Amino acid sequence: MHMYRSHVLVCAGAGCVSSGCKAVQNALLEEVKARGLDKEITVVETGCMGPCDLGPVMVVYPEGVLYQKVKPADVLAIVEEHLLKGRVVERLTYRLPGSEETIPLVSEMDFFTKQTRIALRNCGIINPENIEEYVARDGYAALGKVLTEMTPEQVVEEVKKSGLRGRGGAGFLTGLKWSFTAKAQGSPKYVVVNADEGDPGAFMDRSVMEGDPHSVLEAMAIAGYAVGANQGYIYIRAEYPLAVQRLKHAIKQAYEYGLIGKNIFGTGFDFDIDYRVGAGAFVCGEETALLASIEGKRGEPRPRPPFPAVSGLWGKPTLLSNVETYANIAPIILKGSDWFASIGTEKSKGTKVFALAGKIRNTGLVEVPMGTSLGEIVYDLGGGIPDGKTFKAVQTGGPSGGCIPAEYLNTAVDYESLQALGSIVGSGGMIVMDEDTCMVDLAKYFLEFVQDESCGKCAPCRIGTKRMLEILDRITKGQGREGDIELLEELAEQIKSTALCGLGQSAPNPVLSTIKYFRHEYEVHIRDKKCPASVCATLFESPCQNTCPVEVDVPIYIDQVKQRKYVEAYMTVKRQNPFPSVCGRVCHHPCEAKCRRAQLDEPIAIRALKRFAADWAFEHTGELPIPLRQGRKEAKVAVVGSGPAGLTCAYYLALRGYPVTVFEALPVAGGMMTVGIPEYRLPKAMLNAEIESIKKAGVEIITNTRIGKDITLEQLKAQGYQAIFLGIGAHNSQKLNISGEELAGVVHGTDFLREAALGKEVAVKGKKVVVVGGGNVAMDAARTALRLGAAEVTVVYRRRRDEMPALPEEIEEAEHEGIKFIFLANPVKALGNGRLTEVECVRMKLGEFDRSGRRRPVTIEGSEFRIACDLLIPAVSQKPDADRLESVGLTKWGTIDADDRTTKTAAEGIFAGGDCVTGPDTLIAAIAAGKKAAGAIDAYLGGDGQVVADLAVERKISGELIEEEMPRRKMPCLVVAKRRGFAEVELGFSEEDAVCEASRCLRCDVKI
Amino acid sequence: MKSLEDLRKIRDKAQRETKLRGGQAGTRITIAMGTCGIAAGARECLQAILEELAARNQSEVLVVQTGCLGLCDQEPLVSVEVEGQPKVTYGRLDAAKCRKIVTEHIVNGHPIGEWAISTR
Repeated sequence: MHMYRSHVLVCAGAGCVSSGCKAVQNALLEEVKARGLDKEITVVETGCMGPCDLGPVMVVYPEGVLYQKVKPADVLAIVEEHLLKGRVVERLTYRLPGSEETIPLVSEMDFFTKQTRIALRNCGIINPENIEEYVARDGYAALGKVLTEMTPEQVVEEVKKSGLRGRGGAGFLTGLKWSFTAKAQGSPKYVVVNADEGDPGAFMDRSVMEGDPHSVLEAMAIAGYAVGANQGYIYIRAEYPLAVQRLKHAIKQAYEYGLIGKNIFGTGFDFDIDYRVGAGAFVCGEETALLASIEGKRGEPRPRPPFPAVSGLWGKPTLLSNVETYANIAPIILKGSDWFASIGTEKSKGTKVFALAGKIRNTGLVEVPMGTSLGEIVYDLGGGIPDGKTFKAVQTGGPSGGCIPAEYLNTAVDYESLQALGSIVGSGGMIVMDEDTCMVDLAKYFLEFVQDESCGKCAPCRIGTKRMLEILDRITKGQGREGDIELLEELAEQIKSTALCGLGQSAPNPVLSTIKYFRHEYEVHIRDKKCPASVCATLFESPCQNTCPVEVDVPIYIDQVKQRKYVEAYMTVKRQNPFPSVCGRVCHHPCEAKCRRAQLDEPIAIRALKRFAADWAFEHTGELPIPLRQGRKEAKVAVVGSGPAGLTCAYYLALRGYPVTVFEALPVAGGMMTVGIPEYRLPKAMLNAEIESIKKAGVEIITNTRIGKDITLEQLKAQGYQAIFLGIGAHNSQKLNISGEELAGVVHGTDFLREAALGKEVAVKGKKVVVVGGGNVAMDAARTALRLGAAEVTVVYRRRRDEMPALPEEIEEAEHEGIKFIFLANPVKALGNGRLTEVECVRMKLGEFDRSGRRRPVTIEGSEFRIACDLLIPAVSQKPDADRLESVGLTKWGTIDADDRTTKTAAEGIFAGGDCVTGPDTLIAAIAAGKKAAGAIDAYLGGDGQVVADLAVERKISGELIEEEMPRRKMPCLVVAKRRGFAEVELGFSEEDAVCEASRCLRCDVKI
Repeated sequence: MKSLEDLRKIRDKAQRETKLRGGQAGTRITIAMGTCGIAAGARECLQAILEELAARNQSEVLVVQTGCLGLCDQEPLVSVEVEGQPKVTYGRLDAAKCRKIVTEHIVNGHPIGEWAISTR
């Protein structure tokens, strides 16, 4: 015999073929030969290994090292280093998402270790074109066993006992089907394989046929023996040329080896297999349509009964299941039905292959036991959502299924559980969607698919889905009407109960399930004519503007910067947002996350450009300009709180001509912008310039006046204020509720920042500081403590770095400055004798998923550890100081109860918005709330409620668009050594930086 | 193919040929393949070992490579790990010695003490 010391398995599944595995394989063969290694090393072509996203993939045995995204140019390194010298080529191995850690071994990759492979047992391990490799893995042993040791009845019984259910979608008990066909009168009988896999995003059947075709042939012969058939057909779609080719080859080989054909194993049992190539009509996946197509008739369904088991192909009893179902048969026969039934859930036995597609890191195929949670599939096997986006929902079952939102990530996936959620397992497609998916558009997509694929035989499917599609179409174009959602629901129910076949009966499911879980998204499309995910193109100008809570016309001001019209740019922002300079420094810029340029290279630095325009305007004019006031109104308005919500509300009302007075409890104006955000991120001089411009618009600010103490709401009304806006923010830190929290040396986050901002004495110098929390307040507190001279600062956070709500750039800068982080830990006790000396923490691990789709941290018992600490700053959350405002109505969380749409409270003439209503939120959300309240107050006082007048904007491209890759300009920052004081860290763009960066904008607002 | 026996024969043969994809083996031969090892003739040693293993139908044996062990003076270095026995490292080998290691140590089960530089 000849011995190879190493086998290099090259994945030749369709995914890897399309990413170029053939060229890699050829290069490998050449290089191996050139080095004289061809006697020692064999290169084996396999079927799909599963992680298609990493393709082209190869695995080198005996070590079991997986190389990903291999290009022909990489082959030299693999041969020279690994095959010749035994050194793993690290740079080509799998990298843990978001880290530098590499995992070279297949046996250590979660993607593989968390799988249980039955149907895919040989895929990616054997050469599908070599029958002997299938035989090596006990191939055809099950056929041998049934033919020599079992009666047909025993075979049927074994399949029945296994609890296997059809993997094509409906989940009918396979054993029952076998027994119906076995008992049916009529001859001959047929065994048919449905390989007309058509669900968008599902490709497990293709993978089995490409990677392990003999597993299907063997199962067909077993089925033939069990039900009394001697002829089998595989109905395979023409769009799967590689699968057709491998299947053809496998059938030929099986005949050559005598494993199908006449007198198999000398037992007298004959079984022939042939295949039919279908033209790829989706409806031919429906069994009656499929059989009609094999007969050469038009692929249309017919009513059932009779079922194919009784009257199928040419009117004869026919056993029909899909590829994956058959792929489970041989292991059931060899290992026994008890073994199979021990895997899975009560009613759904065994495993299921899922095809992961969409917004997920590890696109590909995974096989897991029934009952595995949706979250495990998406996060542990799938690797989670790429590009820092959030999970929104997963569509299971393709166009016949439905979507499942984040709050159900703990669902144990099986036939029953998904049905209960309004979806189905279906053939196992899982299309993962992130925040950028519009659910109305998704439903429309699937209905378009159904419309294309409907055979037209029955009216509900042909006409009903057409009407539904028309309604969805008008909703996505901003022409939705009240009642459309209800109409869709009614039509859907009609179609479900009257359509002829499964295609039509399940066609409305995507619409129904998106309405069920995302009804508000439909409502926003219909009522507000908005598409929050920035997908429905007619409903917005550009994704950045659509995402901005105050709808700043981003592309226009970016273009003005490009044209060096900086003051105009500032005014464009200011139209929608009175704080361009502040937001240009500290906004969390959700706009950038939606920037289309990110699909090309990196998003535009929108925030930094806003800052540049503001800085330029201030530097060159000595002040910040404001638009002209429109007219003069009599009604006086009082605003309580001078934070971003209050000042924004005051500003827009003042511009409309109302006399507005702002009452501020603290000695300074600005709210959290002044006493929350530290100087090094937002210099007071810049903030004050912007507040001055608001005053210039006609706003009066009275400081040192606390409502409820210095003056009451009733007194304000008595003084003639006809409307009052409450924007008091959320300045009270939530307690940790741990023992020792009252010790000297424990100062809560917002208190700490306020004291520091107001210039009060805060004893930090030389202290060991521990900050608890992962949000921006925690980051601000930690970095402020460092600047005030702390000896060391440690942040303790209960989840992982990825889950920190703080801005990524804040976390990075904190790390640069030398702040330590302890993740997955939580304080349980503050210790000390009157004065804090230590804090005791426990380690946490991430458990089940919470409603937001994040894993909930749970305590690891007995994992306590202590940190020496003389200043503990808990910064876990904040709530409003609204005790004195109970008369307007509070929620159970202590926030002010105000209507989200109208900002009205229960008290007449009193409005509220910002953090005091929502709990701690972003700066731009507070500004948006203030603006919305200004409109509501104007309407309340008899105005038209439109505080920002419509403006016709000409959208045209100035100069050339840069469509080549061009990296985003980096924000210049103060060197770390100079950060001991409170000097601003971000230095701002130079003029050239700004113009260059602005010229990267692709102007997706310009419709061509 | 006419009987189950035929199937078994094909299976056994094919299993031998694909065994190393399982990554589990009773016996493992590790050849140091650093620059020093290659310069001293590790490639020839490797080829000799493979030929000898094939000639003696030793399909259960895994042959793997490793980098420089730090003992460049003693290259080529080969270590043999037989399940349940201490790992034996041989030094200053050549192709002939390697063939002998396969026949004596692996086939007959007698480690060659005089060439061994470490046993643990």
